[in-house]
Amino acid sequence: MRKRGTSKRSSRFRAFRLVLLSGILLTLALIFLVSTLGSQKFSTLHKLILEATGPVQKVVTRTTGYLGIFTGKYSDLVNVREENKRLWNELLECRAAAYRNREALATNTRLQKLLDFRESFDHPMLAARIVGKDPSLWFRTVVIDRGSNDGLIKGMPAVNGEGIVGQVFAVSPNYSKVLLAIAPSSALDVLLQKSRVRGILRGTGSLTYKLDYVLKTVDVQEGDHVVTAGYGGLFPTGMPVGVVSKVVRKRRGMFLDIEVKPAVDFLTLENLLIIEQEKPFVR
Amino acid sequence: MIAFVFILIGVTLIVIQTSVLMINPVWVAAPDLYYILVAYLAYRFDLLRSLIILFPLSWIMDVFSGVIIGTYPAICFGSFILLKVLDVKIPVRESLYQVPLMGISYLVVYRVVYTFFSFFDPDSIAPWSWPEMFVKVFLLVLCAFPLFRFFEYIHLRMQKKFVPFKMLRVRSGNRFRTEDGEQ
Repeated sequence: MRKRGTSKRSSRFRAFRLVLLSGILLTLALIFLVSTLGSQKFSTLHKLILEATGPVQKVVTRTTGYLGIFTGKYSDLVNVREENKRLWNELLECRAAAYRNREALATNTRLQKLLDFRESFDHPMLAARIVGKDPSLWFRTVVIDRGSNDGLIKGMPAVNGEGIVGQVFAVSPNYSKVLLAIAPSSALDVLLQKSRVRGILRGTGSLTYKLDYVLKTVDVQEGDHVVTAGYGGLFPTGMPVGVVSKVVRKRRGMFLDIEVKPAVDFLTLENLLIIEQEKPFVR
Repeated sequence: MIAFVFILIGVTLIVIQTSVLMINPVWVAAPDLYYILVAYLAYRFDLLRSLIILFPLSWIMDVFSGVIIGTYPAICFGSFILLKVLDVKIPVRESLYQVPLMGISYLVVYRVVYTFFSFFDPDSIAPWSWPEMFVKVFLLVLCAFPLFRFFEYIHLRMQKKFVPFKMLRVRSGNRFRTEDGEQ
């Protein structure tokens, strides 16, 4: 009996709920129809819906935005190692290219200087490259990649764009040994350009020359230019040799102690020009 | 064969020394690598093999360096003899003195050769400089350790390669005689 009463009540509630839902549905349909077919204006309900859903939308949008940034950062982090490696490789390539360019520029400048020098002199010259350097502390020689097959003979002068470098000391078919002017066994006949006084320029083994046999009566100043005398026909006259860097007048003796700074930068010596001669004077 | 390999090593060392290590014609900090080989020969090789290696080595150095022919044979053979004699005479365990002795012998031999030149041809050589010579000795000693190990490695490998004839003889697997006398 009791059970029967309960089921009657629930069926009534179900009917009421059905009527209520249908009513709401009808109302909504009516609002929809009125707003769609009517003035096409945003009704209060629309506004309410917007106000209610807006914050949700906002939160979701922000959250997805943050998530997007986070995933982006994470993927960046994952890719950054490879990117870093790639960029390093690129940087190394760029550095290598820059180095090559600088080297090419320096070589170009050096060779241009040699070419200008070669063109400014009447003598036929042969370009040579230094392939080996004397490792001893006592001697100063270099090996060049030209020999008797190229017409080189012992005694030929070696020069570069800056001045006198030395002279060919020994020759083989494809290579030669050049005695540098700074070698202790090297001696050159030179002139002080200003006073035209003659002297003998000797190497010291270091980056200076010693100018011997210049009398104390001669007026020699620091900065005076020293050039080849050209006696004996070995070196052409007037080629730059160096600049007087120190003059010492000792109380005893007839001659001045003169130190000459080489015109040639022996520290960066790479290419030479050998002045070709018929029969160079050989000591 | 060992001599030939060490001649090749010597040539390589000289070429490296005169090209790569010499940054400019007045560069001081280039170690005399050839001298380390000379010392190694004195310590480890017999006289005949050492001479076979030393002759071409000293001639090559004479070609690449200097203006007085015979300078490097004098240095090489002088050093070799000095080190060989000292190696036999000194009663100390060899590893203790080998490298320092090489440095001292370098100074002694160079000084003797320099004194000789300064008597007979003083104008052909640069003035003696102790600081530069000490730099050279320091670099020589520094390079001696790895190079000695390298020479030792090559030497041992070459020795292993040439095993005695007895070891190369082909033998059958049967080491015992059978009853009817066949092997």
